[in-house]
Amino acid sequence: MTPYILRYSSLSIVLSLVSMPLATASPPGQHPPEVPVAHAMASFRDAVRSGGPGKDGIPSIDRPRFQSADQATLNDGDKVIGVYHRGQARAYPQRILVWHEIVNDELGGDALSITYCPLTGTALGFKRGETEFGVSGKLVNSNLIMYDRATDSEWPQILGVAIDGPLANQGLEEFRVFWTTWGAWKTRHPETEVLTEETGFVRNYRRDPYGSYNPVTGYYAPDSRRLFPVMQSDDRFPPKTVIFGVRGPEGALAITRKALRNEGVVDVTLGERRYTIIHDSQLDTGWAFHNPEEVHIRSAELEFTADGVTGPGIASLEAVNGFEAMWFAWAAFYPDTYLYEGQEVP
Amino acid sequence: MRPLARIILKMLSRPTMVLAMSGVMLLYTLLYLWLTGDIAGGGAGGWHTTFPAWERVFQSRGPFQFEPVGLISLGALVWTFSPINTLMAAGMGLLVGLNVVAGWWLWRSPRQCGLGGSSTGLLALVPAFLAGGACCAPLILIWLGLPIAGALAGVTPLLVPVALLLLVVGLWFSLQRLARESGLS
Repeated sequence: MTPYILRYSSLSIVLSLVSMPLATASPPGQHPPEVPVAHAMASFRDAVRSGGPGKDGIPSIDRPRFQSADQATLNDGDKVIGVYHRGQARAYPQRILVWHEIVNDELGGDALSITYCPLTGTALGFKRGETEFGVSGKLVNSNLIMYDRATDSEWPQILGVAIDGPLANQGLEEFRVFWTTWGAWKTRHPETEVLTEETGFVRNYRRDPYGSYNPVTGYYAPDSRRLFPVMQSDDRFPPKTVIFGVRGPEGALAITRKALRNEGVVDVTLGERRYTIIHDSQLDTGWAFHNPEEVHIRSAELEFTADGVTGPGIASLEAVNGFEAMWFAWAAFYPDTYLYEGQEVP
Repeated sequence: MRPLARIILKMLSRPTMVLAMSGVMLLYTLLYLWLTGDIAGGGAGGWHTTFPAWERVFQSRGPFQFEPVGLISLGALVWTFSPINTLMAAGMGLLVGLNVVAGWWLWRSPRQCGLGGSSTGLLALVPAFLAGGACCAPLILIWLGLPIAGALAGVTPLLVPVALLLLVVGLWFSLQRLARESGLS
């Protein structure tokens, strides 16, 4: 018996040593995911399309370089993706990220990936652990499918859950990034750093291959057509209309930007949970919270600082991630989404 | 093969043919680089060059697309320069140029031989242009915002080889006919 025990125990040690690097290098995740998954994994896999370029054909930026705000050559109206993490602010210009889609960065000692999908107009942040994310070259619902370089699992960006590979069904840990303008971001965070064009790759960073946000033209125009098929289409709004989206265990919620701007504070109950979404007029985005005590928040009493929104009642709220997205993509991922278009006037 | 080579040499011995072929080749090369995005707008004016990424010269970024190694900015135009993309564009351009010149010669030849106004030579130009444009068709469709562009993205790896094959086959037939009509085969 003893040799068998020895053999099996040494085998299990070898196997655990082999699997250890995989486990430690994998991105930190949630199993099961904390965000809704509206379609079966097999349906997602069936809906995957080639986007044209191959794996890493759109290269992620793995050694980003930064400059100070006063060195940056950006116009106030230029779109940036802003991150404020552990007291450190960074801006990632949209005109650079449109060519790379993923920046594998480190902020405040944490390894983070800042991701942007131009075809769905979505910017999300994910904790990456010891691995990096890359662009797989595949799309689902026109949305970027990332892959992690530790396990090669495939993660649609909006979903934040792996649909294929060893980590299938696992969710990623998200952090908030802001889709805003350079002028607004540097006013909020004057000490911000800015990603430079020294990415290690040669690209025409003055030109956006899809269109323009300043003014809004080409692929980004609300009425323009999408390029790739979707799992579910919803014609309630023009396809590229921007909504603010929030996801929770009970499902997904979309708020029109008009409603958010007009009302300042929006309360929505999804299932048993109450959500409060606060409009930040400077960054022109929303701050989403779970509001378990159903505290009434008054827009006029709030202040927006580098650390976020402050004011009476805010301390009792739990921050929830939220992000802007093109309507067609949100509706394709979350066909049963709750849609908030503003309070009905009697 | 030798008669075909002789036909090509005969074509290239005429300055007008060489000029026409070079013109078509240059136009096609520029068009290919424009459609694939290597040459585009966005220049800030003036003249500026930088070549910071020679180590990426053989790094692929998609089917028949390679990483640029440098950036050439001239006036409003910016050329993200990849030597391999440029060679490929010029090679395809050369084949399109030869097809066009051979087709034009075929169109002219029957009349010179007194065989009547045959337009079969001219017809040879059609596949040449179709094949030449095949590589860039999805990009044109994306520009036009047509949803089928997404469906075509999956077949892009095939388009350049198909275009090359059509151009070579087209040229082969044109040259054979020219060789026959010149009594060289």
